[in-house]
Order: sequence, then C-alpha cells, then structure tokens
Amino acid sequence: MTQNGFCDSRPLLDLHKKTEERRAPLRAWANTRGPKERRSLAESEESRGAHCKTTPESRWARRMPVSAEDGIIMGYAEQNGSKDGREEEALLQCLHGLPGTYSWDIFSDMLRTQSHYTFPSTELPSPFTDSTRAIMVDWLIQVHVMFNFSEETLYLTVHLLNRAMRQIKVSINNLQLLGIVCLFLAGKKEECLLPEISELCYLMDNNYSKRQLLRMERRVLCELDFELSHCPPLHFLLLTASIAHCSDKMVWMARYLLELSLLENQCVVFQPVQLARAALCLARVVLQEAHSPESETAWCIATSLHICSEPTLQRIMHILAVTASTAHARETRASFVKFSTAKTLHISSHPGLQSAPHLLGPGGAQARPQAREGALKGMRAGETGQYMRTHT
Amino acid sequence: MAQDAAVQYEPVAEIGGGAYGTVYKARDRQSGQFVALKSVRVQTDQDGLPLSTVREVALLKRLEQFDHPNVVKLMDVCATLRTDHETKVTLVFEHVDQDLKTYLDKAPSPGLPASQIQDLMQQLMCGLAFLHSNCIIHRDLKPENILVTSRGQVKLADFGLARIYSCHMALTPVVVTLWYRAPEVLLQSTYATPVDIWSTGCIFAEMFRRKPLFCGESEVDQLGKIFEVIGLPTEEDWPTDVTLSQRNFSPFSNRPITDFVPEISHQGADLLLEMLTFDPLRRISALNALDHLYFQEG
Ligand SMILES: Nc1ncnc2c1ncn2[C@@H]1O[C@H](COP(=O)(O)OP(=O)(O)O)[C@@H](O)[C@H]1O
Ligand SMILES: [Mg+2]
Repeated sequence: MTQNGFCDSRPLLDLHKKTEERRAPLRAWANTRGPKERRSLAESEESRGAHCKTTPESRWARRMPVSAEDGIIMGYAEQNGSKDGREEEALLQCLHGLPGTYSWDIFSDMLRTQSHYTFPSTELPSPFTDSTRAIMVDWLIQVHVMFNFSEETLYLTVHLLNRAMRQIKVSINNLQLLGIVCLFLAGKKEECLLPEISELCYLMDNNYSKRQLLRMERRVLCELDFELSHCPPLHFLLLTASIAHCSDKMVWMARYLLELSLLENQCVVFQPVQLARAALCLARVVLQEAHSPESETAWCIATSLHICSEPTLQRIMHILAVTASTAHARETRASFVKFSTAKTLHISSHPGLQSAPHLLGPGGAQARPQAREGALKGMRAGETGQYMRTHT
Repeated sequence: MAQDAAVQYEPVAEIGGGAYGTVYKARDRQSGQFVALKSVRVQTDQDGLPLSTVREVALLKRLEQFDHPNVVKLMDVCATLRTDHETKVTLVFEHVDQDLKTYLDKAPSPGLPASQIQDLMQQLMCGLAFLHSNCIIHRDLKPENILVTSRGQVKLADFGLARIYSCHMALTPVVVTLWYRAPEVLLQSTYATPVDIWSTGCIFAEMFRRKPLFCGESEVDQLGKIFEVIGLPTEEDWPTDVTLSQRNFSPFSNRPITDFVPEISHQGADLLLEMLTFDPLRRISALNALDHLYFQEG
C-alpha cells in the first residue's frame, strides 16, 4: 500500500496502521505548526483568507486555514466550549498519537480541500443522463477489478470522469473512450503497473484505435488543466473506522456502501468526508452490532468532528440505503459482485441491506434510485460499451 | 494554458539532460524573464504522457497555491501537437541558477562555510516539512534535484520520477543512483516520508565532504557501505517483511561519524545521526529537525 501513495493522504493511513506496534509520545500542540517552519505557509494563508473568519480561542479554527465557504470548521468553531469539546479533544489525541509527525497536518489538509472535490449541481450536459453515467461507472469498476487497481485509483477515476463529462464535449459514442482515459490517467498517477494501451483498446472491442485513445488522453489533460488531485472518501472512512475501532465486517460494509455512492450521480454534490461518514453510519444501522461502552465511546470520539448537518447526513444515508437495497437486482452490479466474495465477508449479500431504507425511518422514500430503462436488463460486462454506441 | 511553447519562449541554452528529455533555459519573449523548459515528446505509438510527467504536474499544480519559497515554481504547462503522431508537452518552470551539485562543485576550497551549510540545510528542511505535511514524499532527493539560486535560496525540484524507479526497480534497467536511498527502500520494505530525511542526511554529509557519503555499486553493496558508517542494526531492528537477512552483513565496529564527516560541529553530528537512523520510525522528522539545536548554533 505504501508504494502506491504519492501525493495523497495515504501516508496518514500507512502510519496509522502501525499505531498498534509502536506508540509515539503525544506531540505537544505547540510543535505541530511551529511558527518558524510555517512562516511562508502562514503568510500565504493570510493573504488568501482575508474573508476567513478565524476565532483565536479555537484551536481548530486557527490551525485549519479554511475559507468561509468550506463550512466545516466554521461549524466546528461554534461548538467549541460546549461539553462535546472533550470528545473533540480525544479525537485530536488520537490523531496525534499516530507515530507520524504529520498526521494532523495531513488530516487538516484533507479537510481543507474538501470543497474542491464536489460539484455545484447534479446536472449533466445532454445527452448524458444519470443512467448512462451509472453504466459507465459500473463498467469502470469492472475494469478496475480486472486490473487489480487500488481503490484510490477507482475513486480518482470517477472523480475525473465527473469533471470530464461536465467540461469536455464528447458524443455518447465516445463516452466509453473518455471513461477509459480517466481510468488510465488515474492509474498513471496512482499505480505502479499499468496495462498496455492495446489491452485497453481490446476491452472496448477495438472500437477505438490506440491513437484515438492517446488523443483523448491529451484532450482530457488539457481540458482538466492537468489537475489530477483528489481526496478519496475512502481515506476518511478508514481513518474514522480505525479511531472508532470498527469491526472488519463494519468496515467492509461501509466500504461497499461508499463504493455504491460512485454510481449515484446525486452524490457528486456531497463532500468526500460526508460520504464517508454517511457510509459508516449506515453500515452501523444495517449491521446492528452489539456495542460495548468502550466501543460506543470510541465511536463518539471518531465522529465528534462536525462535518455536515444532520439532514444532509440523513439524505446521503437514504440514497445509499435505497441503492444498496436494490443493488442485487440491477444491471449495474459490479460492486455487488465485487463485495460478494469471501474476502469481503460476502458483505453485499447481507440480509440487513434489503430493508436498509426502512431502518432509517420516514424520509427514506424521498430518495429514489434513478429509474433505469428496461432495455438495459441483463447486460453484462463488455456489452456496456456496445450499448453506449448503439442506443443513442 | 499557452498552446505553443516555441512561440512564447526563446531557447537560450541547454541546461541538463534528463531522463525524458533535455532541460533548456529560455526567455519569455513577452516579459523577458528567464524560464526553464522541460519537454516530453509523446509519440502516438507509445503509452501517452509518461507517468513521471503526470505526477510531477499534478503535484506541483496542487502545491502552487501555497507559493512555498523552497519548492520550484511551475509556471505553465504547454501541450503542442507537433505532427499527427507526436505531441510535445512542455513544463515551464521558473529558472534557477544552478543545482546543488554544481553549487558544491563551484564552491572555492576548502568548501562551503559552516554557516552556509546550516542555512542551506534549514531551507531544505523547511521545503521538506512542507512537502511532508502535504502528503508528498519526494523519493528522489539528491544534489542534482535540488536547485540553488545565486542568492543561496534552496528550491526542491524534479518531482515524479522517484516513485517509478522505486516500483520498477526490478523491472526496468534504468541506471539511477543508489547513493541517497534509504535502507528500507534498499531492503524493499515499506516506506514513507522518512526516506526523504535519509536522503537529506546523505546530502548534509556531502556538503561538508564535497563528495557523496555512501557510493554503493549495488543494493547490497550500498547497504554494506551504510552499515560501515552507522553500524549494523540489531536483529530486533531489522524489518520483518524483507528477504535479505541481517546475517548477510558483517558487524562493523561503530566508528564515530566525525571520522567520515570531519568538519561537522557537535550539534551537526547529532542531527546527522538522527537523520541517518536505520529504523524509519525512529528517524527524526523534518519538523522536529527544524527544532534541533544545530539550527540555533551561531
Ligand atoms: N527550474 C530549473 N532551473 C534551472 N535548472 C533546472 C531547473 N529544473 C531542472 N534544472 C536542471 O536540469 C536537470 C534535470 O532536471 P530534472 O527536473 O531533475 O529532470 P529529470 O527528471 O530528467 O532528472 C536538473 O538536475 C537541473 O540541473
Ligand atoms: Mg533529476
């Protein structure tokens, strides 16, 4: 895992894995961002954040350079001084207990950049629909499984696809080409071993030439201005789960639910950290595991950071619950299959998922999965591309 | 994004040959400012834009907003379609007078004054602390990839190749220097930000010695040279996830570090040893290194 991470938040998780083996002493607050070494950083923060409300008494607000629109820390700062403060303190301690010096910096950087990775609306340029997008994503999930790519690559791929579909004018005939190029570029950023371009062309029934693929690559890079950063929600999920001491089963369930969010175009307006929290909360509801007082405390600590309003959280949970309850019967079931193996504890077939929307109580009916045309029934891998080209 | 680098920039001189193409010094025709151009030619019968370029650009783009004084500035990226078969991608950097290798070579005998080494090290550590807190591991720190302006300002450069080397080491016969590689990388164990601290430690020693500290010829030879200086790690310290055994190396007597780096001060030697600690988890971090007493020496 370590060998993959390059310019993302993975080092945080790597370091965290080692917590059990070796606990470094808690770092004093004052050391985290010494004034000396951060001089230049602080300067640029100040110049950028003239509109940024900082509360001097609040450590969070001070330490995290955020602009007001992020909302995360603003909400957080308001809570300071309330009795919840103790859990927040505990969360901080957890982060500082990690044997890397940078855990806190990395975490705050992840939070700070959240809003870059959301979209203002769910609207897709015609002729794309939520449904064509879902089919595309589903196919990309299959390809990513086939190449044994990391999950980070998948999340980056779909993020690039979301941007590219909005920014680049392509016909529906070329959507598959666009999708594979997003996967290829994400792979170049995240993976060590890449498939040959001819393999990629083969996967698309050689409907596109190598040269077409490379031209599309150039186009995507230029149109996206070579910006290939992402903050995968998976990192928040794993970080929260490890602080909360979640069971393996719970982590797999949450990972499955989080991956399902990739299929839902409605989810692009939410921040990665919100999606991760919703997936974890829903996994908890679905699994109904017994909790000891200690595990309750750990959970409270891990989720003490205010990241969104309760209605927002509920909305995401409902979307995921509805998607999960029908996942087995859909055409887009790559994730369902992927998470049905023994390694993933057969989590996608967990009986609790069927009734997930009801477990959440009223309001569950608000979020419906997109209706999919009957014509798509029974479609398998490989046929997706064909569908893309013929049904337009 | 500028479309044609050839129109906007006028080449002045060749600076260095890189793995994927030459780096040129050029002049911006509009502003008269000097820039460094690093171009990659992408043939349509190859694999598209090389991974190294994808990573270097993605990463520098992300860091751009911070405008850190110790990281080289990427000013622009130009993609030009040269022929139907070839695209040229040019990264436009601010021009920096020389790299640290040249800077050290040019220094008049007997080498850099101690105060200047201290200043360079402090800047290096600032840049590194900044990268590490932004989740970036450089992985290819060596004097050629560190730039120094004529006023002595340090700028980290060449992001993106390191990882490819580390992953494909066994696969591609690329000649790349082993000399700055951390033991955990040589042993193919897991690694993270401490690898950069190791490399910086090697560079720290080199500033005094004016020649590299460990010049190994193979991975095993490199490890042998390292243990000659820092001593053979104990069996408990040896990572468990590696194939090479600790017993393959003969135990060396622990010679003082000042045998190898004679001019270094007491505090400097202490910091150097903290940076050249075998166990990556106990190796000093860039942030903590900045608080080291060495930097208070005056
Ligand atoms: N911005 C720059 N200003 C001046 N010289 C540079 C600049 N960038 C690179 N160089 C010189 O070019 C050499 C190769 O550049 P580098 O980015 O390291 O490419 P490569 O990945 O091919 O090693 C460096 O060692 C340095 O001497
Ligand atoms: Mg170089």
